[in-house]
Amino acid sequence: MSIVDLTSMAEPEGEAQKKVNEIIKGLKEDIPNDCYQCGKCTSGCEAFILTELEPHKVMALSKSGFIDELLNSSEIWTCVTCLKCKERCPQDLAPVDVIFAVKNIAVVSGKQIDSGYSNMLQAVLGTGFIQSPKEVVDRENNAVTREGLGLTPMKGPEEIAKLQQVLMKAAMETLR
Amino acid sequence: MDLDKIGLYLGCLIPTEQYAYELALREVLPEFGLELVDIEGPACCGAPLRHINLSLTMYLSARNIALFEKEGLDILAPCPYCHQALSEAKDIMKKNPALKEKVNTYLKEEGLEYRGTNEHFHLLDLLHDEIGIEKIKESIKEPLEGLNIAAHYGCHLIRPNDIPRPDHSEDPQKLETLLKAIGAKSEYYNEKLDCCGAHIFINDQESALTKTGQKLEAVQKHGFDGMTTMCPWGQRMFDAKQDSAGQTVGASLSLPVIYYIQLLGLAMGKEQEKLGLHLNKSPVDKLGSKEED
Ligand code: SF4
Ligand code: SF4
Repeated sequence: MSIVDLTSMAEPEGEAQKKVNEIIKGLKEDIPNDCYQCGKCTSGCEAFILTELEPHKVMALSKSGFIDELLNSSEIWTCVTCLKCKERCPQDLAPVDVIFAVKNIAVVSGKQIDSGYSNMLQAVLGTGFIQSPKEVVDRENNAVTREGLGLTPMKGPEEIAKLQQVLMKAAMETLR
Repeated sequence: MDLDKIGLYLGCLIPTEQYAYELALREVLPEFGLELVDIEGPACCGAPLRHINLSLTMYLSARNIALFEKEGLDILAPCPYCHQALSEAKDIMKKNPALKEKVNTYLKEEGLEYRGTNEHFHLLDLLHDEIGIEKIKESIKEPLEGLNIAAHYGCHLIRPNDIPRPDHSEDPQKLETLLKAIGAKSEYYNEKLDCCGAHIFINDQESALTKTGQKLEAVQKHGFDGMTTMCPWGQRMFDAKQDSAGQTVGASLSLPVIYYIQLLGLAMGKEQEKLGLHLNKSPVDKLGSKEED
């Protein structure tokens, strides 16, 4: 399995499913018992007011291992990563980190993710960056490029194939 | 300040489309005796890939730090998103030496090693804490008197507070202090810590633009002359996408949005073009006319 498959593979079976189950169990164990569902995270959540993401619910469901509902929900993808939930939790918990973990699990379980994310991943694997230098327009609508502005060319990774290889391996590990 | 040179780590967004930020940084910072050094090999900080795979973020951040460390350079990361990813990677590896080992086994394949001996700065702490307010005041030729500018920090610059951040998570003040140093005013407003919405633009444009529009509308209603940022993601939303944000929330928006480093350059008497002012999409010309009033 390559990391590109990570974002496009079908529902996992057998070994792969076993691995996913292990990750879900790991997440459950990693979340401390301390969330008392006070809802403070949700009360200040920048996404809640727009899209009904409820970080306290994410905490409860992940802790009890019921993350199927979350994996299939679109709400987890609406977290704007403002980090206020983590900042303000009276129990020093980090709903935003759990949301990231759940999204990562959605990816390894082969859930459909927005093409914006997979495109970004492809771009990083191919060039080292999420996008290449763009032609933009100035306020008068004249086209402008990096070079045209006198900026030096970007100096990205010299051996992109090597970086790609290492990234694929790293993605299979838990570097956290 | 004992820094006379620093490695410039621009990340992805600045060198591929937020050219005004890069132009202004390169124009202004050398005036304080600081040489900006470009090196070969950096890549994405990994933060945008967090949604997909957290290990990628960890590896990419460690790798970028290691590249500058190899050259014996401290780092300037003017993007808060990058800066936070670097800070987080550093913090995790400091607390977990076994994990650092693991990361290093991968880095070795690229001929690199992370030791964690160099420092990294964002523009906010570089200006406020390293260069210092006094030196900034001394550099000013044309103070921006009469302007009241709203400060936008950006979420990742100040949070989370369990890792070192350049300013306070709930009551940051350094940007206001920097605005005062160049002669402007910066009043408090209730929406100061509100998010720009940038990070869901990729998959939910309408929600993202709603956040952007709501904050801009609030700032405009308060009667500010403009808004300033130190974040390429926030700038992209508030400046480049201001028109669509206005349409999304049904407001007629016409607020100058400008990088702080551009404002500083203007106050130092720099030419507008060299600060990339022609690249801002919002009506930054209004700042000049207001100033002369
Ligand atoms: S995560 Fe923290 S803030 Fe949220 S409900 Fe649990 S204890 Fe309260
Ligand atoms: S980080 Fe995400 S979940 Fe947490 S408060 Fe912000 S938007 Fe809500």
